[in-house]
Amino acid sequence: MTRGWFVFAVSVLLSGRGAQAQTIAIIHAKAWTMTAATPVENATVVITDGKITSLAADAAPPAGAQVIDAKGRPVTPGLVNPATHLGLIEVSAATETVDTATKAATLGAAFDVQYAINPNSALIQLARADGVTRAISYPVSSGVAPFSGTGVLLRFARSGDPIERAGVGVFAVIGGPSGEAGGSRAAQWKLLRLALDAARTGLAAAASPTTRTPDFLALEPVLAGKVPLAITANRESDIRQAIKLAADYSLRVIIIGGADAWLAADALAAARIPVILDPEANLPGNFDELGARLDNAASLHEAGVSVAIVVLSGIHQSYNAGESMRAGAGLAVANGLPYIEGLRSITTVPAQIWGLGARCGTLAAGQDGDLVVWDGDPLEPSSAAVTVLVDGKEVSLVTRQTELRDRYLPKAGLIATPRRP
Amino acid sequence: MKWIYASRACLMAAAVCVSAATGARPAGRVPLPFTIDPYPSTYQPLPRTDMLIVGATILDGAGQRIEDGDVLVRDGKVVAIGHGLKVKGVTVVDAHGRWVTPGIIDVHSHDGVYSIPSTSGDVDSSDVSEISDPNAADTWIEHAVNTQDPAFSVALSSGVTTLQILPGSTPLFSGRSVIVKPVPAADIHAMKFPGAGQGLKMACGENPKSFFGEKGRAPNSRQGEVALVRAAFLKAQDYLQAWREYESGARSKPPARDLKLDTLAGVLTGDIAVHMHCYRSGDLTTMLGVAAEFGFRIRAFHHATEAYKVVGQLKKAGTCVAVWSDWWGFKMELVDAIRENAAIVDAAGGCVMMHSDSATVGQRLTIEAAKAAAAGRRAGLNMPPEHIIRWITSAPAKALGLEDRIGTLAAGRNADLVIWSGDPFSIYTKADQVFIDGALAYDRSTPQRFPGPDLLLGRPESRRVPDPVSGRPEVEPHP
Repeated sequence: MTRGWFVFAVSVLLSGRGAQAQTIAIIHAKAWTMTAATPVENATVVITDGKITSLAADAAPPAGAQVIDAKGRPVTPGLVNPATHLGLIEVSAATETVDTATKAATLGAAFDVQYAINPNSALIQLARADGVTRAISYPVSSGVAPFSGTGVLLRFARSGDPIERAGVGVFAVIGGPSGEAGGSRAAQWKLLRLALDAARTGLAAAASPTTRTPDFLALEPVLAGKVPLAITANRESDIRQAIKLAADYSLRVIIIGGADAWLAADALAAARIPVILDPEANLPGNFDELGARLDNAASLHEAGVSVAIVVLSGIHQSYNAGESMRAGAGLAVANGLPYIEGLRSITTVPAQIWGLGARCGTLAAGQDGDLVVWDGDPLEPSSAAVTVLVDGKEVSLVTRQTELRDRYLPKAGLIATPRRP
Repeated sequence: MKWIYASRACLMAAAVCVSAATGARPAGRVPLPFTIDPYPSTYQPLPRTDMLIVGATILDGAGQRIEDGDVLVRDGKVVAIGHGLKVKGVTVVDAHGRWVTPGIIDVHSHDGVYSIPSTSGDVDSSDVSEISDPNAADTWIEHAVNTQDPAFSVALSSGVTTLQILPGSTPLFSGRSVIVKPVPAADIHAMKFPGAGQGLKMACGENPKSFFGEKGRAPNSRQGEVALVRAAFLKAQDYLQAWREYESGARSKPPARDLKLDTLAGVLTGDIAVHMHCYRSGDLTTMLGVAAEFGFRIRAFHHATEAYKVVGQLKKAGTCVAVWSDWWGFKMELVDAIRENAAIVDAAGGCVMMHSDSATVGQRLTIEAAKAAAAGRRAGLNMPPEHIIRWITSAPAKALGLEDRIGTLAAGRNADLVIWSGDPFSIYTKADQVFIDGALAYDRSTPQRFPGPDLLLGRPESRRVPDPVSGRPEVEPHP
């Protein structure tokens, strides 16, 4: 039997599904499975047909597998960015390249950004090279306060449409720096409740088909508890209102921001409401954030609240969507969050919050083959991804930035750059 | 600028002298009025004790790394650095396992003027810039600084001991900067770095032309910006000439003071350092050309995201760049920003600083340096800690004209230094103790001893402590 035939035979045996099986094995990995608090040293992670099939210490890779030697470096699940505008922003100052907001008065919850996603965005390219394999991209504001619209789940495979699932959740904003939407937060909460009431009535079986407006239809899965209502809010009073809203309407609510969330930690834990927060937020950027502090993540975790991490302030939420969430998690760990929870806050927890726990966020067998090999501690901002796999396939780490670098290094009289190992 | 110290009484005396002057006067008797600081520093060092820090990993800011090193501080000055220093009668601070660096210098801050918390009142009338005219060279940012901005205390608690507060980049001539120490104070004078010069913030590219252009005003183009800058400096040349004639006695009456031209004349004399906001490589070299035309030096370009494309010209002009590690893309002039920018300029022999431009980044300038250096290392450039610490210590000290006082740990320098819990370039490391002029300005183990900003009094209790993490167990950095 030739070697090729041997590989073929093994592949058939491994996959049990015929000749197309593709097996890739990462060897000598320091594998952070996320299902345990400590890494598996010298692990071999096997991915077959895009799914993790095994992870074991000191195991030999399957014969015929494509082997990637991690050389003892950390391996984690792909990062899951829980709240970004990837695919909706290119150059934020060039407004025609920005699709995050609409003033169309007819679109509220139904302002659905799936139609605007740009798979060729340079921001996506960089996020993926920085280890982001999935992201929730969401709108900023709609024509109907306090709704921002409907978000989309993206997955950054080697090629193809990045939209994995549209209608992943409805987003709303309460309060904020100027309280523009609705003028008063009292109006914002009432408008939100009235919209939910109207949608429930309008969608009732007895109602006329003409009452099934786009906004009502967008709220249908929210009212059914199938997708979350993600509310950007920072002030304690708004966080407590969100908890009340979730109870009154039996909604799945997620808090984004949550500067004051630590003040309502027990109530959030009791209501099983997760928080997507920015660990860098320790200054009161506005009056809603007077409680901002560095150990928000640690306090919430201690109280039993699920915490996912993203950097919301400045440009990093989209422009450095991978690097910044790692740095944010590192900062949260520096301020009391256990190390493993820091890693989970950018992988497992965001996956769970968005209902993806069965697909991604750990290195357990059966999970998607979305993994990252890092050149150092993933929570150190100075570390970087050296290999990124999506769906069991290595994706390119070349970006506009690396191409610019490689063009100008020699021109600066410096050596031509070596490729990342 | 080497400010000429003058009490207000002296100034008045000078004014009387000037107004009384008739006919020829002895040359140089009256200083050029724009070289006098009418609002001098009233800063007083905090209470201090002499101390010997022992056993630290020292990055001296000048390029040296000293293991198991000691630092002797007396009367607010560094007296000696070395191994096994033996001194009696001083407090010994055990720094084994910890790192010591010069105090961090943020060469581009808006603390105190970018209002925190931001309110609707700031939307059209923020104190960060006077935007009624593209030439705001007559404005002094020190007149706007809110010393109770919580950004100052978090900067201090993260190792920052000196900041240059700059006005924003909407006007072409944005106004004069002020250099401060982030110490508790009820007014800016008590924060001003004694004897430090001023800078002039200038801006090129998208910000001025888009803001004024949208209002139907000049400039609405890059060429319009350069034309206005050149026209202003032509006037300033005449203004300076008139003052020179008066100074030399060739002219009997003093020229009429013009606050805008005062500033620009100060640039021409070299007394005021130009800190210029520019991104694109062509903008950088265009402005170097304007500076050469009028005979002044641009001390530093700020942001300079395309500096890596014109390293040679920057080096030749002796102009530094103050940059971020990774900001990119949000305006057209930033689309070519790359993470290796700092490392490339540095490796090619240029002068690099990391800046913040943000109260958030301003708490983690070490991490900015770490990220920029790591990108350089991955491109094959050698960027050791003892080298890159210069980006946030000695390089900005020099750009601020304060290199003989701060930015390095050497005998005679001000004892502005930080004892870090570990490697300052790790996200897990914290500033344990921060000293300014040898005085303990912040101590992480007793944060309640250090007053936070007035703003946070009466708020949720934790906010009164600048660093709310005390009392939590030490973090075990993960390998």
